[in-house]
Amino acid sequence: MSRRLALNTAGFVVAALVVAVLPRFISSYHALEWANVGIYFVALLGLNVLTGYSGQVSLGHGAFMAIGGYTSAILIAHHGVHDVWTIPLAGLVAGGAGLAFGLPALRLTGLYLALATFAVAVAFPALARKFERFTGGNAGLVLTLHTNDWLYYLSWSIAGAGLLLGWLVLATPIGRSFRALRDSEVAAISSGISPALYKTLAFGISSFYAGIAGSLVAISTAYVNPQTFPITLSLFLVVGLAVGGLGSLPGSVVGAILIQFLPTYAAHVSKQAPQVIEGAILVGVMLLLPGGAAGLFRLVQSSRQP
Amino acid sequence: MKVAVAAVALLVAASVAGARPLATPGVSSSSILIGGTVPLTGEAAAAAGVARGADAYFKYVNAKGGVFNRKITYKYLDDGYEPQRTFLDVRQLVQQDGVFAIFNSLGTSNNSAIRGFLNQAGVPQLFVASGASTFGRDYKKYPWTIGFIPTYSGEGKVYARYLLAKRPGAKIAVLYQDDDYGKELVSGLQAGLGAKKSLIVKKVGYDPSASDVRSEVASLKASKAKVFMIFAFGKFAVQAFITANQLGWHPQIVVNDVAAATSLMQLSPPKATEGAISIVFGKDPDAPMWKRDKGMKLFRSIMARYASGQTPNGYYAAGMASAYTLVDTLKKAGKNLTRKSVLTAATHLNEKTNPFVLPGIKVHTTPSFRFPISQVRLERWHKGHWVIFGPLLSAKP
Amino acid sequence: MAQFWQQVVSGLASGGIYASLALALVIVYRSSGVINFAQGEMATFATFLAWTFLHHGISFWPAFALTLAVAFAGGVALERVVIRPVEGRPVLTVVILTIGLLILINGATQWIWGGAVRKFPSPFSTRPIHVGSAAFSIQDIGIVGVCLVAVALLTLFFRFTKLGLGLRAAAVNPEESRLVGVRVGWMLALGWGLSAALGAVSGMMVAPVVFLDPNMMQGILLYAFAAAVLGGLESPVGAVVGGLALGVLLNLLGTYFSTFGGEMRPTGLFGRTAVRRV
Repeated sequence: MSRRLALNTAGFVVAALVVAVLPRFISSYHALEWANVGIYFVALLGLNVLTGYSGQVSLGHGAFMAIGGYTSAILIAHHGVHDVWTIPLAGLVAGGAGLAFGLPALRLTGLYLALATFAVAVAFPALARKFERFTGGNAGLVLTLHTNDWLYYLSWSIAGAGLLLGWLVLATPIGRSFRALRDSEVAAISSGISPALYKTLAFGISSFYAGIAGSLVAISTAYVNPQTFPITLSLFLVVGLAVGGLGSLPGSVVGAILIQFLPTYAAHVSKQAPQVIEGAILVGVMLLLPGGAAGLFRLVQSSRQP
Repeated sequence: MKVAVAAVALLVAASVAGARPLATPGVSSSSILIGGTVPLTGEAAAAAGVARGADAYFKYVNAKGGVFNRKITYKYLDDGYEPQRTFLDVRQLVQQDGVFAIFNSLGTSNNSAIRGFLNQAGVPQLFVASGASTFGRDYKKYPWTIGFIPTYSGEGKVYARYLLAKRPGAKIAVLYQDDDYGKELVSGLQAGLGAKKSLIVKKVGYDPSASDVRSEVASLKASKAKVFMIFAFGKFAVQAFITANQLGWHPQIVVNDVAAATSLMQLSPPKATEGAISIVFGKDPDAPMWKRDKGMKLFRSIMARYASGQTPNGYYAAGMASAYTLVDTLKKAGKNLTRKSVLTAATHLNEKTNPFVLPGIKVHTTPSFRFPISQVRLERWHKGHWVIFGPLLSAKP
Repeated sequence: MAQFWQQVVSGLASGGIYASLALALVIVYRSSGVINFAQGEMATFATFLAWTFLHHGISFWPAFALTLAVAFAGGVALERVVIRPVEGRPVLTVVILTIGLLILINGATQWIWGGAVRKFPSPFSTRPIHVGSAAFSIQDIGIVGVCLVAVALLTLFFRFTKLGLGLRAAAVNPEESRLVGVRVGWMLALGWGLSAALGAVSGMMVAPVVFLDPNMMQGILLYAFAAAVLGGLESPVGAVVGGLALGVLLNLLGTYFSTFGGEMRPTGLFGRTAVRRV
């Protein structure tokens, strides 16, 4: 066990060093692209806690990102709060919304939960348009711009912190209860774990991450409007999660890279039919790598060990 | 001493003469790189012709020698109509590809998403493909941005004036898309009606993600209005025409320009659309009246040559109209092309020769009036085509 | 009161549209226990195929039958090639696969036929009929009628044919069905084929009303989800009743509670019904 911890620590330190020096070798625009990867990584960490560790499927995490994004945007645009300070607030507000949603969602299982969360994501843009006074309606809210490098370091420091926090939480009894519930609800209950408490908690934690990611989206784009968080974002998060691998926090990086670069890559391959390429890659990945990137990694590892 | 003075003079002269002027991004002695975004995929993909038409026109200009021997490259990226992607695309165009200016990007929220960045970076945001009046109005805050087509509020006012003159006292029902686009049309109409605002007896908004607008039209019909305003988008307008007809409601219908493309209008049965009224400012490639027109002949030959295999519809013509004005602007900006000079040129337009807009329309701007096209005419749908009537009207916002 | 009846009638007409796609969703759910996010796109693709047949001079009903056959074969093929390999994996995997298919098929439709809005002929007359104060067309009755016929046929099929029974058995208990000689794999493929064909029917009924474009079914899919959940996800009859009820309910809410209407429509109800069902 301690050897694994040492390996993980070493891995984390090496990864942090790579992340820290990367902007020196890439152009400013690419730094922005990688800043986005960091943002998606944060969102996927949270989604992984929910889906990968506690077994609840959400097709609507874009809505919680939107709540975070709008919290930041409203605080910055209407109340002049410095943008960095709005990030934790955005996480808390979205986390609160997640708790509130998690409670009634307790009664939903599997596909019904997926559909209910999907409905939330569908409803959000309309809601944002409705409360025009705060959200600026379709015209949206315009925020302060930052340099690409600044955004890069902001999003990756938060991503690093988020990863550590995730590991910590999952190492505590809370994490063990999540996994117990995921693997067998009946067994978990019989050993005294309250499904209501822990399922809601998982929703809260994952929405907290989503809110922070949404806040980062708002800050990096320096603009939010209802279409900043489209339904496709929610779907792509789930896709990124599966591609990165359920139940593997570092694996989410691969998912985040996919979310950021797949559309660009597909447009590069075929200007005529980018979506065909995109869809084909997704289908192919799911067929060939059902365990996601993390699954591939484990496969390689286990084949090496005799 | 003389030697020292001479040396200093030489040094100064040499450094002045030899210093290369700070290069303008995207401009070389033989090329100009222009950027833009457009939905090539997704819900609004049908509008991609706006970019493709402009691109075809630039190729035509390049074949004739370009502008001051500079060939124009128009790099347009797909944003799927999502502002978040527009923002990333434009960052790429400006920071990675080093474009000279952003031109003809489509969509209100898409352009709103990039306006702050472009103005901070001092990159011209030229001829925005949206009728939201903010792009022409808020030049004090966003000096590098300029619109192109008549604003939605200006359009609403034109309808109001027409109704007050031709249908005084007629009750009005309004169907509008429930977002900034539809609301600006409604507020233009209300402003134009002024004291007679109460003639609007009912207005119903629909959500752009709805599947149909039949229920909305049915409740408007119940108002028994004599005039029915359709401020909608794409196929919702078609459904509105058809539903009104099916319900046996036959008011005077007015449909806004964006929803009045000939290809859309022809989807309804002729009975449902006959006599409908809209505005027009560009030549419609589908209208028989322009068959022998020189501008539309040029349009068809450019399409055949540089965009073969694509359907030459109004979107392409609109793209060419703004491409023509951009080329004009670049010429006016002079040989020594800078972002500043192009902005000055774009805000001092007085173009009477654009072959793709209606004869008589002057593409006109000043530093404090940034609505290049602010004149329109009315048109009436008759036997499957739009027929223009009446004089040129002001459509100032 | 006149308004009320008009809204009920148009609500039924819209509800028929939701119901027809909801039926297709229910069939897939029954056969493989997943929600097919690509259902709408498959229907749109099939409708474009029908458009192409019509465009080449085939008359309506032969084109209709041909489209059904192609859609059925396509559905079977999709199940065999794409869904089969992930059988038994978590629901999430299958859902993501169908999301991938959604993107792929939508892109393909756009690529092949372009983004323009097209007219699609209706097999039914659109001439208005006035009954009392409400107006509707034969087309509206036609859509609802086709739904009802489809449900009746499905019910008969599931109740009284060997194939139908096998299909149900395979879905409920694949292991035991295999023991008694039901070819479970093919039954699942059959379910997908059936639902693809039903989706094609839905697309061809819907296209004359909302017009044909590559994103035609995307809005409708949301309502169809709601209708299917409202009807219990398992039952074809429930899907149709759910769809019709949803259509009427949304119209009445939109008309009489304007704050509720329009924007809140697709989902306020959707979420709530999902909660109630479980």
